[in-house]
Amino acid sequence: MRRLAARVETTVWARLALFVVVFVVFAISDRRFAGPNNIFTIFEGFAWLGLAALAVGLTIIAGELDLSVGSVAAVSGIVAVSIVEDIGLVGAVVVAALLGLAYGAVQGYLIHRLKIHSLVFTLGTLIGLRGLAFMISGENTVVMKNLDIADVVRQQLWIFSPFSLVTILVFALVGLFLVYTRYGREIFAIGGGRQEAAAAGVPLVRPLVLTFALSGSMAALAGALTSIKSGSAGPAAFEQLLLPAATAALIGGVSLLGGKGSVIGIAIGTLTLRFITSGLSLGGSPFYVLTLATGAVLIAGVVLELVVERPVVKAALRRRRARRRAQAGARAG
Amino acid sequence: MNERGTGRRSAEAPARSVIVPVAVVGALVVLGVVGWLTTPEFITYRNFQSIVRAAALIGIVAVTMTLITIAGSFFSLSVSQTAAMSAISFAAFLSWGFPVWVAALAVILLAAAVGFVQGGAVALGGNPIVVTLAVGAVIFGMVAWLTDNKTVRTGTDAAEWIGTSRPLEIPTQTWAFIVITVATGIVLTRTKFGREVTLVGANRSAATTAGLRPGRVAVYVFLVSSLGAALAGIFTAAQFSQGRLDHFDGVDIDAIAAILVGGAAIQGGEGSAIRTAIGAVFIAALQNLMVLRGFSFGVRVFFVGLAILVSVSAFTLIRNRRRLA
Repeated sequence: MRRLAARVETTVWARLALFVVVFVVFAISDRRFAGPNNIFTIFEGFAWLGLAALAVGLTIIAGELDLSVGSVAAVSGIVAVSIVEDIGLVGAVVVAALLGLAYGAVQGYLIHRLKIHSLVFTLGTLIGLRGLAFMISGENTVVMKNLDIADVVRQQLWIFSPFSLVTILVFALVGLFLVYTRYGREIFAIGGGRQEAAAAGVPLVRPLVLTFALSGSMAALAGALTSIKSGSAGPAAFEQLLLPAATAALIGGVSLLGGKGSVIGIAIGTLTLRFITSGLSLGGSPFYVLTLATGAVLIAGVVLELVVERPVVKAALRRRRARRRAQAGARAG
Repeated sequence: MNERGTGRRSAEAPARSVIVPVAVVGALVVLGVVGWLTTPEFITYRNFQSIVRAAALIGIVAVTMTLITIAGSFFSLSVSQTAAMSAISFAAFLSWGFPVWVAALAVILLAAAVGFVQGGAVALGGNPIVVTLAVGAVIFGMVAWLTDNKTVRTGTDAAEWIGTSRPLEIPTQTWAFIVITVATGIVLTRTKFGREVTLVGANRSAATTAGLRPGRVAVYVFLVSSLGAALAGIFTAAQFSQGRLDHFDGVDIDAIAAILVGGAAIQGGEGSAIRTAIGAVFIAALQNLMVLRGFSFGVRVFFVGLAILVSVSAFTLIRNRRRLA
């Protein structure tokens, strides 16, 4: 147990502390905050933001960045809402997720093949897919006539809904995949040091295609379920998705240097951000205060990473860890 | 965000190639010919003027942001918010009765501070994309909070000439676009600072060894980009006699698109003010041609995205081949 604790990085404790402190502060300041209804609302937010944060976070872990998640979600939402009344809820969601998967796989393959920076490539797809969203929706919001399907997605099961349960399931599956399969570990390997990974015999194409396929399918899933839940999908939806998604991933411990991060961390980061925005909206703050808070949290995350990554701080942390290990060794011996 | 594939660049500055500039100009020429053959009203002096005018605001933001890309700091995602902040504060200062030059100076100082903070964070090792994403959100939130998310009117026509006059029959924005492009081009190619920016972007460690200071360069390039956004804000506020928060939605993406179509290298060290300006004109001309042809909004956005994908793929292939050769 002690060895496990020593392996966990210092910043993880900071993140967990932030998670708890934010929850406690809002729970004390507003009685409604910790009530089952608000916890349900927080998990509803977790449902879509978590998927987006996982999509963006995975690409950052792989040493890339997918800017196109918002546009993918918009296109997928329009597709799902248009077909859900014909082929049913499960069919529509599966079709949308598979389209996202196929799109992401092609995007990952092209990024690998062209040896292009994912930032510039996904900027092109960000714009192109937004155009596609306007094209296939006829520049109008697409609506469902039968809202019974929407009610299925958003029905409250204690503090969960079918939507948030799907997200939790996806988190569990992706988490197991990343930690326990070779393909999953390859994603970390190419993010931590691409040349070292290639030298060690990791075929770069596989993890890149996988990363972007997962990212595309989760963005598509988020778009489809969110849109079906609200019964409508607009072509301009999800335009600001990158900000909260990246914020959640980064305060969840995903390192911008690549190769570092965890699914549990991203879940904690997403929930922390949802605590903050939910607490503020309970207090009646308008949307721009939520944007301000998200930006401030992101800045705090950047500053934390900068401070921890500074050579002086790093050396101090290393010394402390060495001292602890020596003490533990002395006690054991 | 790793260096891609083939590893670090060699220590010397990137070889000058004519392929990229020729491709950028060639794309514009091809578009012009296609437009001329299909759409008679496309190649007229009047239409040319309206294309350049449409490109001017994005162009000012893009040309000044090009320095960030050349210096190896990718892009800024906060220029929309900086421009909106500048437009709103310019309108506010005017409405409080300050003279035009005081209002403009105050806005420029404010934008400079915003640029300085971002450049400083990047100099200390912050990821430029994330830093500017965060700062943009904070600026948006603060300005919306302070103004109650309402339009701010100037309440005076004292500054209207900045946005609407036409010296020599050419709108002020277009003049500013031309002057800023030429000035940035001269700074980049003919001054010590410009060469420093290029060297730091081309090879950071070699530049540091040679005694250059990448941190200082980062601060300056974000400062310049912020000032470009502030100018766009002032022009717009003056033209419409008001400042609005949503007036600049998508300006950051459009400006980045112009930089990419202009063939700047995302890894840094390569790019030019003139080419970015041509990129901005290309996108404006493409939009204009599609409007004349009656394409719907969605189709236009789709083709702009496609144009970016094609051009960044082509430039990357050209560069990778060159590096291998």
